[in-house]
Amino acid sequence: MRSKPVEMTVLRRVGEPRLFESRRVLTLILTAALAWSLLNVGWSDGVLHAGGLAALREMGGALLTPDLSGEVLAKLVGSVWRTLAYAFAGLSLALVIGFPLGLVASGVLRSDGGGRDPFRWAARLLLAHLRAVHELVWAWLFVAAVGLFPMAAVLALALPYSGILGRVFAELFQDVPEGPLRALRSAGASETQVFWHGRVPFVLSDALSYTFYRLECGIRSATVLSFVGLGGLGFHIQVALADLAYSRAWTFILGLIAMIVLVEAWSSAIRRRVTL
Amino acid sequence: MSTLRPTESPRIGFVHVSIVAALVMLVSSWVFVLGWDRQQSFSFFSTETAGRAWGFIQDLAGVGRTSEPAYAQLSEWSRTARLAYDTLAMSVLAIMLAAMGALVTFMLGARNVMGGGGLPAGVTFGLVRASWAFARAVPELVWALLAVFVFSPGILPGAIALAIHNYGVLSKLAAEVVEGMDMRPVEALRSSGAGRGKALVYGVLPQALPRFMTYLLYRWEVVIRTTIVVGFVAAGGLGMEFRLAMSNFHYTTVSLVLMWYLILVLGVDAASAGLRRLAR
Repeated sequence: MRSKPVEMTVLRRVGEPRLFESRRVLTLILTAALAWSLLNVGWSDGVLHAGGLAALREMGGALLTPDLSGEVLAKLVGSVWRTLAYAFAGLSLALVIGFPLGLVASGVLRSDGGGRDPFRWAARLLLAHLRAVHELVWAWLFVAAVGLFPMAAVLALALPYSGILGRVFAELFQDVPEGPLRALRSAGASETQVFWHGRVPFVLSDALSYTFYRLECGIRSATVLSFVGLGGLGFHIQVALADLAYSRAWTFILGLIAMIVLVEAWSSAIRRRVTL
Repeated sequence: MSTLRPTESPRIGFVHVSIVAALVMLVSSWVFVLGWDRQQSFSFFSTETAGRAWGFIQDLAGVGRTSEPAYAQLSEWSRTARLAYDTLAMSVLAIMLAAMGALVTFMLGARNVMGGGGLPAGVTFGLVRASWAFARAVPELVWALLAVFVFSPGILPGAIALAIHNYGVLSKLAAEVVEGMDMRPVEALRSSGAGRGKALVYGVLPQALPRFMTYLLYRWEVVIRTTIVVGFVAAGGLGMEFRLAMSNFHYTTVSLVLMWYLILVLGVDAASAGLRRLAR
């Protein structure tokens, strides 16, 4: 042991070599999962498509020469606006649905914490189901049900996002420290007053910050859900690739990246200022 | 907002402007979405829409069909079980590939590790960061549309598409863990004679790995939800079946696929919560 190099003794002391140490078990499980998933790839068909390499080369070449003709750029601007419009409308609707549900799910409106409140558990269950299904699946179902309306995109975005926002708002309301609330109660405030003057001011900046973060995600999602024919950026990327027009596809993809990088910068600038 | 941070008026200025800008966007978005309605033969908010939606729900349930709905047939369940299995394998492969990519690069993109390393370190840092931003900004579905041109059909193109996007997400999260970390163990190792590489491996990894595992499992929950979406275009698993059933108007099969989807999502959420307890 004494002849072992320094780092070995450090390692020994940090990671006690117990056989069933939980992290070791986790590592084993993850390694086994990777091996299992690799076995399920159909390796016999070869990794690459018959024309795969040629396609890859063509795509790479097209990345350097995106289609910058006026017609394509006009379409790009139009589809960026449409994507943003879906995201803003969808997120605002998600706030309207998610906030009250999150409030009920948090149980803070009841003085006993709502431990056995059936409405609370119903709200939690509803939120979990709303966020289980991906927005593109919702979009496809809505379009199949009622047709190609922008409202289909807005609803498809609003449903899963209200599930996510509701859960996060519920957690924020629960995480308010008890001290100030108790002070309000002992000064004679009702549960409603405690809510408006104790919890809301405490939660406001985090909720605002999280909403802007979700707006950023919503813009990404709006791109994706326009694939089903709703005419945003994703739709144009799909059409260009179906025509094998890689240069045109890259114009839209690069436009998408620029939009997302800008929105990310905006949203993180806001979050830095609000929650510091 | 003035009640929030009364002492920092210049900072609030930016936030104020942003909120106003967001509200302007919000109003014009609704004007656009609702105004579009007037160009249509019938509007969205109408009894006709409600009738169509109700008809669709009946189709999903298989009301009024002579044949037995797919979700009530055991043979259909066992046929789609194979697809659900493939979908699960696709999600695991995707998150593992993403994790490997992130493990290789996350230190190269951490500001506190790469800072002060001269020009080569600066260039590496910039390149690695750019690769994350690029991978992250392009959605999984777009990566999948590109991947189907390159890889053989099956779970591989979908897994690669999911892996590329999540490589960007996981690496950035892991780098943020390192950037927010206590660097004193590294300094201690350095001062006791360890080289730069060794100090990082033994000083940073033990601290960062548990958090990294937690993020990995959280992202797995997101990946399983997205796997069906990627399957729409990448010819694998439940997503492909969903797409085929939709195009062939086999709506009871759509219901069956959605049931499998919920089973997978809730199962993965439970599994991830269990494994996260091990990582702690």
